[in-house]
Amino acid sequence: MDQKNCDTIIADYERIFHPQKLAIVGVSEEGTGFGSGMFNALQAMGFEGEIFPVNPKGGEFSGTDIYRQIEDIPVRLDFAIICVTAKAVPDVLEACRKNGAAGAEILSAGFSELGTAEGIELEKKIRQIAAKGIRVVGPNCFGIYCPRSRLTLLPGPDLSRRSGPVAFLSQSGGMAIDFAHKGKWMGIGFSKVVSFGNGADLRETELLRYLARDPETRIITMYIEGIKDGDSFFREIKAASYSKPVIVCKGGLSPAGQRMVVSHTASMGGSRVIWQSVLTQVNAIQVQDLEELVEASLAFSLLPEKVFKAISVVGGGGALGVTACDAAEAFGIEIPPLSADLQTRIGELLPKPGSSALNPIDVANPFVSPKVLKEILRNTAQDDRIDLQIIISLLYHYKTIARALGKPVAEVAPYRELAETIRDVMKETGKPIVVVLANPKRGVDDLDIIEMLALARREFLDRGLPVFDELHEAIRAIGHVNSYYGRRKAENE
Amino acid sequence: MNKDSAILIIKNAMQKRRKALSEYEAKQVLAAYGIPVTRECLAEKRADVEKAAQEIGYPLVMKGCSSEIVHKTEKGLIYTDIRSDAEALKAFDQIKERLNVYSGAVLIQEMIPGRRELVMGMTRDDQFGPCVMFGLGGIFTEILKDISFRRAPLEKSDALEIMQEIKGHNILGAFRGMEAADVESLADILIQLGKIGLEIDHVQEIDLNPVIIFGKKPIVVDALMILE
Repeated sequence: MDQKNCDTIIADYERIFHPQKLAIVGVSEEGTGFGSGMFNALQAMGFEGEIFPVNPKGGEFSGTDIYRQIEDIPVRLDFAIICVTAKAVPDVLEACRKNGAAGAEILSAGFSELGTAEGIELEKKIRQIAAKGIRVVGPNCFGIYCPRSRLTLLPGPDLSRRSGPVAFLSQSGGMAIDFAHKGKWMGIGFSKVVSFGNGADLRETELLRYLARDPETRIITMYIEGIKDGDSFFREIKAASYSKPVIVCKGGLSPAGQRMVVSHTASMGGSRVIWQSVLTQVNAIQVQDLEELVEASLAFSLLPEKVFKAISVVGGGGALGVTACDAAEAFGIEIPPLSADLQTRIGELLPKPGSSALNPIDVANPFVSPKVLKEILRNTAQDDRIDLQIIISLLYHYKTIARALGKPVAEVAPYRELAETIRDVMKETGKPIVVVLANPKRGVDDLDIIEMLALARREFLDRGLPVFDELHEAIRAIGHVNSYYGRRKAENE
Repeated sequence: MNKDSAILIIKNAMQKRRKALSEYEAKQVLAAYGIPVTRECLAEKRADVEKAAQEIGYPLVMKGCSSEIVHKTEKGLIYTDIRSDAEALKAFDQIKERLNVYSGAVLIQEMIPGRRELVMGMTRDDQFGPCVMFGLGGIFTEILKDISFRRAPLEKSDALEIMQEIKGHNILGAFRGMEAADVESLADILIQLGKIGLEIDHVQEIDLNPVIIFGKKPIVVDALMILE
């Protein structure tokens, strides 16, 4: 690819992800359907470009004139959102191409996913038009979400407007919208989310190549069911993983192919094990589900780019010592006992009896004040071996105190002070601190605790502290970071 | 044996519409790629046995060798630890009888002593093309399925990594008086298997099982090559 061509492609992507002039085809005056929903969602998100609604019946929607056809729009479009019936899509797409639009997302379903001759033929037409010079996302997808431009997925009027380092490519629209929503409260900022559905034109490999070079994206995440071209996918994901972490959730893994096989090698080489091996080979991070995907993304977003060989765990509850050590061992992370000197100093800070200053450090009492916790964390960080600290906070216990005082738990639990304290220690010591907000009380009796913890989570995240619900989830996420940077370092040596 | 003659063996088999190579043929292909295999020769007739046995040297392993039979153990076609001409002739007769309707000869090969058995192989994935396997061999292959794959071509680092990836990777280390296995030679075999996958489209699947660690050197003791 020559430089001019490459620049054109980058300019096209810029117009697709950050459009100034945007058509929505399929907006009805009555306000029903995907097109109108998209129009409303974009306005709710605060999309700042110009929107041109299109519908053959004309009329007006939400104070904006509806154009009868793309041909009537007097400006060159950057991007179009197409939500008309499948049969009408090729003509609309061709009109967008003639207008000069850089790209279009086709939300409509009714193509190859049906498996019918008609559906397959319609998708072929889309591919042919795309080949003539317009990039297509979809069909049968939820589109693009880009917080910087405020493009949003269907039906996402309430996704985060905050940009961040994580990009997500998804064959499944449901996964895209779920990740976008879950990421919003779990602390994930997105650069770009693309639900590409059937992937008639743009799909995993080409988008991967773009994101690998995209300065807005520091972490690439993907949900893949099947890929079109194993060879080029392998090359691109290997190249991408070399410069930034690529986290993959592979759906639809089946134990073995349909083909008749004779050898043991072939019978054991089903798609699941081959995928696992290939992802390891290219140093991509494989996760099993959306939860693990979000947790890994959080760890990569907020932790420094290094391997955390040894950690400390400060907290209490739930057979802390055993749980922590078991989880850590599985990921090759050490929880070394602190030096005798530090144990003595920390021991003096801890309430008696029942506490332990060994590491894991069991504070034995959920009401140890943020001031004391601060001293414990500062002292622990003095052990040179410790690369990272985890603090398990049992804030939910404050409900007992709140009840005695007749106050709401959100007023009594010192989460803001705790967040500030932990942030200060992290800055002072230069060692990252990961927070676990454990909560075994999630029933209707304890909605106040759930609310308090949601507020607490926000305070921690606002200060750059990653928050997990469970210790083993935190350790697994750190394990992914270790594995990626450990292997990348080995490759570079 | 060079690569051209290896390809010729495969072409001949394809022309006869055979679905697999015999063990003897498969090992010739492997040898052409520099993969260490057992010393062996083929005895068509009873009169060939004594000469072959002398050439290879006792103790011997004798096997029914036919491209029509892919899994020999189940058919009772493998005789091990044969120590005299009398035993060899007896084994020859029994194998011939069991081969019965199948076309085939008797393979006479050196017996490789060694307690560590590995499996290596090649398969073609629908999405990723030729992939190379490494794992625990012999009967443990199917029981433990302790294996890992790499897509071809394999770099040296891939080959070294895949060996470390299986749970039983300590089998390659020094223990119980056995030397550490020569991982460089093992890596070479894995790399070459990938090459066969990339260079010869007609080879659909390969099983090398067992590959026995003799001293510290790996030797392919049994091989299966499935054709397209």
